[in-house]
Amino acid sequence: MDNPVETIGIASARIARLAAIRAMLCAVAPALTAIALGALLTQIGDVTWTRLGYRLAPERGTVLSLALIGAGIVVLAAGLVMAFRSYRRANDFVAAAAELDERLDCDQEIVTFATLADPSAPESIRARRTPLFPILWRRAIALFGGLDVRREFRLEVGEPLKRSSIFAGVVALAMVLATLGLVRAPTPENTEAAKLRAIAEEIARTSASSDDSALADKIRQAADAIENSKLPPEEKKKRIEEAMREADKAAQKRNNSQSGKNQGTGKSNAQNGNGKSQGQGNSAGAGSGEGKSGTGAGQNPGGGSSGSGKSATGKNSGKNEGGKGSAKNDKNDQNKGDQSNLELHDELAKAEAQVETANAKNPGPDNQPGEDKNQGGASQPADKTNQKGGSQPDPNRPGNIPKPGANGDRNIPAAGGKPKNNKDMGSNLGDTHLGEMPTSTNAQRFLKPGEKGATVDIRDARYVMFRLPGAPSSGSGGKTVLDTDRPTATTGYVNAPLAPTSDDAAPDERQLVPPRYRDMIH
Amino acid sequence: MGAAPQQASPDQRVAEFRKIFSRAESEVARVIVGHREVVRKMLTALFCGGHILIEGVPGLGKTLMVKAAAETLGLTFKRIQFTPDLMPSDIIGTQVLTEADGHRDFQFKPGPIFAHMVLGDEINRATPKTQSAVLEAMEEHQVTVFGTTYVLDPPYIVLATENPIELEGTYPLPEAQMDRFIFKVVMGSPKPDELREILNRTTGTAQARIQPLFEASRAPRAIEDLKALVREVMVAEPLERYIISVIGGCTPGGPGAIPEVSQYLRFGPSPRGAQALILCAKVNALLAGRVSVSYDDIEDAIVPCLRHRLLLNFQAEAESVSSESILEQVVKRLRKPRT
Repeated sequence: MDNPVETIGIASARIARLAAIRAMLCAVAPALTAIALGALLTQIGDVTWTRLGYRLAPERGTVLSLALIGAGIVVLAAGLVMAFRSYRRANDFVAAAAELDERLDCDQEIVTFATLADPSAPESIRARRTPLFPILWRRAIALFGGLDVRREFRLEVGEPLKRSSIFAGVVALAMVLATLGLVRAPTPENTEAAKLRAIAEEIARTSASSDDSALADKIRQAADAIENSKLPPEEKKKRIEEAMREADKAAQKRNNSQSGKNQGTGKSNAQNGNGKSQGQGNSAGAGSGEGKSGTGAGQNPGGGSSGSGKSATGKNSGKNEGGKGSAKNDKNDQNKGDQSNLELHDELAKAEAQVETANAKNPGPDNQPGEDKNQGGASQPADKTNQKGGSQPDPNRPGNIPKPGANGDRNIPAAGGKPKNNKDMGSNLGDTHLGEMPTSTNAQRFLKPGEKGATVDIRDARYVMFRLPGAPSSGSGGKTVLDTDRPTATTGYVNAPLAPTSDDAAPDERQLVPPRYRDMIH
Repeated sequence: MGAAPQQASPDQRVAEFRKIFSRAESEVARVIVGHREVVRKMLTALFCGGHILIEGVPGLGKTLMVKAAAETLGLTFKRIQFTPDLMPSDIIGTQVLTEADGHRDFQFKPGPIFAHMVLGDEINRATPKTQSAVLEAMEEHQVTVFGTTYVLDPPYIVLATENPIELEGTYPLPEAQMDRFIFKVVMGSPKPDELREILNRTTGTAQARIQPLFEASRAPRAIEDLKALVREVMVAEPLERYIISVIGGCTPGGPGAIPEVSQYLRFGPSPRGAQALILCAKVNALLAGRVSVSYDDIEDAIVPCLRHRLLLNFQAEAESVSSESILEQVVKRLRKPRT
């Protein structure tokens, strides 16, 4: 026969433990939520960036992340304190008896018994026992018969977790509000840096070679440099060029490893190329990317459209000159590494152009006129032959003058990026900022000086795209050197009219020309 | 009938109490049709050592009920019809000049208050002076006449009745006197089937005979033992706190007073109300076969113990708010607090 006093004591300890666990559970969910959100804030930021086009500034993100983790730890500590207090409060002999009484439906017999039998009660309380107390003792024993305290007082986590989830929701909501207050639309530098990081991630993920890893690191450094407002533009450009060189090195190695295929490709270049691949067009130009072939029958997988003057460029040019379609391009077996390499080149070039533009827009103390060499020379028009460089079809050839509305004439290539990524990311920079070139439809181009052809009517043009000369290629090795003589926009931008304002043109149809290109309009 | 309770075991004493109580109810029910709750409260008040105020119109069998209860328990019974010209000496007795052996001497002649069970019929018809004469007897169980104190033999219970009609020329009981009654029970009119049973019993030739539970000589002692048993019933501390919270909840401005209390009451119950609650709850516990009080026992006692201790204000009377409804609100708010 169990001693009912001991039974109540066991129940009291059990209830106290459960109370402590429940109190702790109340704090666990919000604490873990806060810590998890804080730890995963970078990843959440990436998702926000990818899906919504907004980014959390790294320094703010760090502060928010630390704040969340700190809050989580504080909540955990508070939970521990609450658990301790709950344990002490619940570890009450009479209260446990009342709880047992309630569960066993004993009409307060157990709590009365506990009041008079509490070992910690003063003697005056025990003195209140009457001759009827033995009856109460026996009743308590009978009521406790078959009682399993552990089974009677189970750990029920549902209610504490439910309450806890409310607090967790509050924490999450606070985080969302804080994030909303801290996120901002990305600058073009952020966009470029993000793209470069994505490429670096892709390279690091798909390749295990040390060269590629080094390349990925260089790209990341370049991306960091682009976003780092404290770095001077020269330093940024230097990092970008280093990344470019690393990319060229990696591409060269890859090409060497695929010598068989490259031999075939080289032959094709020799036959079809017209030497324009030696042009110095900068791949930052929108037209140097994955231009569609003349027939539209196939898409150049990217090998021939690099603006960096590779042999593949000539291949594409030749093919387009002949208007024979892309059959040879299809045979050109470009792997994914080449693709990403070309994308990388494209993005790095864009980034470099972005750095220069930003430098021109916001001349810092280091960029005072007269001190920046690039600024002085950049305003000069570059060699006109450079305009023919890259992978673009020779505009001097009559057959390549595009006709509005004709699909086959879409020789003005689309943007260097993937078309599906060309959606507006919510910025207020219009559709023509870097990386968001639209797909060309009904495209026309300006005639070069002395060129004859149909008059270009851009009155209703939605977009105007410019092809910039790319960096010159030094030999067939694909080494990229910086073209310091290329034209660079120097003046502050104004709304350069593309055409006289037409009365019947809807105001929202007017498009702004990106400032960095306005000097080039003559 | 009736063992010597003090020598019996606790279990036997509890069983004996339940048996006697139950048989007393049954015996009274031989002559009183219905009103079981009133009978129960009357017996409860007897075992609590309190007095009871019965409110009801004439002709409901109040006198018969008390008389039957006294006969059942083997106790003495006296009835006082209170009237405006009733004097205190008519109740408590007076000194009478007597002559014996050539000596003349004043000898105390006890009044009708000297009985175990006293029925004060229509107590509100007597003057306050006469009413107050009963107060000492009710509270102190003694009377003082010409400087001499006479103790009333236990058990002693006053059952006063009030007629809720014909209030002209009456003297409503003052609050101090009302507070001395442990219960106030309301005796309603009998239901149709009860009325038919009353007619059958009282208009025929058959007479109900009551079987006394105790011999008259040992009845007082037996009743006192049962009263002692009631006081041995135990009360847990949380339940004592509950009773205190109920009393506080019924007191305007008291701790935990509900808005209705502050709105409609002038005064709340005195500590006697809490004592009445505990004693009544103890009897309820014994009747349930327990030796400890439960929340249900207390809640059962709240209305009869406290209804006459709440002093309604003018607003309550204007709005026909009853003390019973206020008590129900209090109980609803404070129901079974947990430790």
